Amino acid sequence: MPLTLIGLSHHTAPLEVRERFAAEVQAGRYSVAAVRELSGLREVVLLSTCNRTEQYLVTDHVLEHNALVALLPQPPGIDPAQLTSFTYVRYERAAVEHLFRVVSSLDSMMLGESQIQGQVRSAYLSALELQREHKVIGPILSRLFESALAVGGRVRAETHLGDGAASIPSAAVELAGKIFGPLRGRHAIVLGTGEMSELAVECLSAQGVRTSIVSRTAGRARELASRALNGAAVSVDELAALLPSADIIVTATAAPHAVITQSMIERILPKGPAQPLLIVDLALPRDVEPEVGQLRNVFLYNLDDLHQVIEGTLEKRRAELPFAEAIIRDGAGEYWNWYRALEVVPVIRELRERAEQMRAQETARALRALPHLREEDRAAVDALTRQLLAKLLHQPTIRLREAAATGRNAEIVEVARFLFELESPNGDETNA
Amino acid sequence: MNAIAFLHGLSLASYLAAGGLVAGSLAAGRSTVLRGAVGLITLAVVAHGIGIALYVMDFGELPLVGLAASCSSLAFLIGASLLAAALLREIRPLALVLIPIIALLLATAITLGIAPSGASSPFRGVWFAAHVVLAFVGYACLAVAFAAGLLYLLQFRALKVKKFGRTFRFLPPLETLDKVRQRVLLTGLPALTFALALGWAWTVRFQNSLAAQNPQVIWGVVTWLVFVAALFSRRRGGERFAAAASVAGFIVVVLAYVALRVSMANGQVFL
Repeated sequence: MPLTLIGLSHHTAPLEVRERFAAEVQAGRYSVAAVRELSGLREVVLLSTCNRTEQYLVTDHVLEHNALVALLPQPPGIDPAQLTSFTYVRYERAAVEHLFRVVSSLDSMMLGESQIQGQVRSAYLSALELQREHKVIGPILSRLFESALAVGGRVRAETHLGDGAASIPSAAVELAGKIFGPLRGRHAIVLGTGEMSELAVECLSAQGVRTSIVSRTAGRARELASRALNGAAVSVDELAALLPSADIIVTATAAPHAVITQSMIERILPKGPAQPLLIVDLALPRDVEPEVGQLRNVFLYNLDDLHQVIEGTLEKRRAELPFAEAIIRDGAGEYWNWYRALEVVPVIRELRERAEQMRAQETARALRALPHLREEDRAAVDALTRQLLAKLLHQPTIRLREAAATGRNAEIVEVARFLFELESPNGDETNA
Repeated sequence: MNAIAFLHGLSLASYLAAGGLVAGSLAAGRSTVLRGAVGLITLAVVAHGIGIALYVMDFGELPLVGLAASCSSLAFLIGASLLAAALLREIRPLALVLIPIIALLLATAITLGIAPSGASSPFRGVWFAAHVVLAFVGYACLAVAFAAGLLYLLQFRALKVKKFGRTFRFLPPLETLDKVRQRVLLTGLPALTFALALGWAWTVRFQNSLAAQNPQVIWGVVTWLVFVAALFSRRRGGERFAAAASVAGFIVVVLAYVALRVSMANGQVFL
């Protein structure tokens, strides 16, 4: 029962291909249950995000790349012949390690991003939901996804892979945090209502910051403010009156010239701000005169500075990779041992059933020859034989599992069948 | 080696090990100090506390007289402040500055030998103990304010010159450091004021003089003025100026101590 992965991701397929796959799944035109119905497939889980579409399968026999591609969604407008070049295939342990790397965000576009853990969990939960009617998932993939989620959790908890800011707005929030500490209750003025302003408002709002959104287009400012927690739309005329109460100013206007000048700040705050003032200039061309950054208690950052914060974060995250890889190796090794041991489970079960049958027969015969025994003595004899059997089989059971985990399963299963006269897999009795 | 010296040595070793872990966190660019460092600081404070308790049982007095005993007590109070800070995860990096100060005080105490100085002074008893303990609380607070002020200046510089490296990630936010600095100064000033008032009241009551020439009085007054300057500089010059004042003030207090001790007449008792 090979464990197989077929997929495509940002490493192998361009955005226009990835988005068509994602759209195909989102539109509900692709059915995992229907794939499961195909002969030779035992378990299926589909992981679909904007950056990857992957299918994890347990099959009866090893399937070749082309056969596996046919199991993926087939979005219109993509030549099926081309799909092979966009996809990758992993078998057995390589498939396990791949999923563990994916869930730990080591395979993500942005190293250390946290969304992937939730996306993998959703994929698993969807499979469990389908399970009620279509039996798409069994013990192998259930355990694989549970182990993967546990490993992902460990990587997040035991390494600093998720630390720091990795996007422009979150870098701005990190800088604000290094100046003000907890940001709840702070006041931010956001100039502009474009995409960057929107992202900044979202990020600041999530930290409990009060936002005043200043724009010449009142309607758009009101719309942004309504989406923010404690947000308010403010007209440009009110900006001067608002500035002294600001802890943070974020500017992202499309103005061709500076909208915040040194003289403006000096005029409004003649002694400089009493508390630190953070100004984040997200505009190109810049909205804030560079000289403003030289004012006392003013911290001015532009896009280049924020990129520097992000690069620092990524460098720090990259330094965590060896720790994350070690956790993944541990988790994958543990899963792999369990997976390999599955192959000896039928032999162990058969061995125990066979031994129990013999024990029951022999005990019954002995007890028939000892009719004078009282009921409690008969029970004691029965218990004794059970204990003896349990002790005798304990070590062989452990050894069988260990041998399977180390890859000697075929050889050891053969020996066990020969020694204990067990049924061979195809139903023949092994000759002694 | 007696038990008191052993416990002081154990405390010093634990502080140094904790300092190593804190420095390791900084070198690794981690934003948090390892929990192991907090454990070692706890061990150091507990060992030191037991050492001081044994001192009290052996000699029947608090280690407040003599340079070695005073260094030990002051180190204990700074260590206790550090432990309180270490329990709040955000300000653990204060250990980076405080551990060297504590280690220096403990090393001095161990080198000189932790035993009563044998100097006789009429100013003893509960009044004296309250006077010295309150003064030491004041000095411990000043040391913490120095540490918070120094880290504030480092973080301020990192933010202003846009060096987002290890120091930037390791150090706490500016506002947090400012709050810590301001709060310890607000705690230390009343403690030192009471200490000075107790000393002054005792001198006037029992010796009918102000003893203005006494090095301890001069040092106490200098420290008190430093406290006031560090506290009120914030209102006039803002957080950064106040941080700089705390750092400069601590250095002034240390230099004043050295100068007074060097110029002290023979036979005078000064810590």
